Amino acid sequence: MESRPDAGSSCTLDERQVEGISVVGVAGVVDMLTAPDLEKAISEASKTSPTAVVVDMTAVEFLASAGMGVLIAAQDELAPSVRFAVVADGPATSRPLKLVGVTDVVDLYPTLDEALNALRS
Amino acid sequence: MADFGQRDSSTRFAHSSVLADAACAAQLRQEFSVWLKRYFAVDATKASDVVLAVNEALANAAEFAYTAAAEPGAMHLRADYDCAAASLTVTVTDKGAWRITNPATRSRSRGRGIPLMEALADQASFDSTATGTRVSLVWNHIAAAAVPAAN
Repeated sequence: MESRPDAGSSCTLDERQVEGISVVGVAGVVDMLTAPDLEKAISEASKTSPTAVVVDMTAVEFLASAGMGVLIAAQDELAPSVRFAVVADGPATSRPLKLVGVTDVVDLYPTLDEALNALRS
Repeated sequence: MADFGQRDSSTRFAHSSVLADAACAAQLRQEFSVWLKRYFAVDATKASDVVLAVNEALANAAEFAYTAAAEPGAMHLRADYDCAAASLTVTVTDKGAWRITNPATRSRSRGRGIPLMEALADQASFDSTATGTRVSLVWNHIAAAAVPAAN
């Protein structure tokens, strides 16, 4: 049996505050290996009592269903007391999110500015 | 030459007996992605679609096939390109039993792998028996690269 211990799923996460909104920045790969890290980051970000949590996936190169599940779970957990939105635009991210109807449940914006503008209003 | 099942060419990508876990699924997805982009003239959207669908097939094998087993078993990925038909067929097989969840009771944050594969591939079929599962994904109108891209 082939063993492949050095799998190349790397995902970097950061969090910052923009006018009371928690922005979780994600870059790299969100698959079944790294989705738990995203889940943890969203959970941490929501502890600071923000008015909204935004997951910025602009720099995500690969998004699997495991990551989509984290977004749906976050929406279910945070709303309606905390608003939740996702920023993504591209064949690897917004396209599959739309194809399987995640965007029927989670608000999606093509840019962070658009998400922040919508959430401030 | 003897065929040990781990040989790639411009028309075939075959990796058998890969450990069915998340790390191996990620590594195999990455290797498949390199092969796809090297030998085929696929745009960013098509490449994304194919790699994501293949990932979901591998992820299901890694997540569900051996849940009842003490340790993960094997999964097999094979891609075949039919030059005459310009079609790419990818099959992922395992010897485990997928946990079939009732759509009415499962969490809505899970279970998007199969709908994704159905949406991303031109044809997707799932054949689950007591002895294993076989996922078959087909894409039509796939053109071979005029000159294989450098690695």
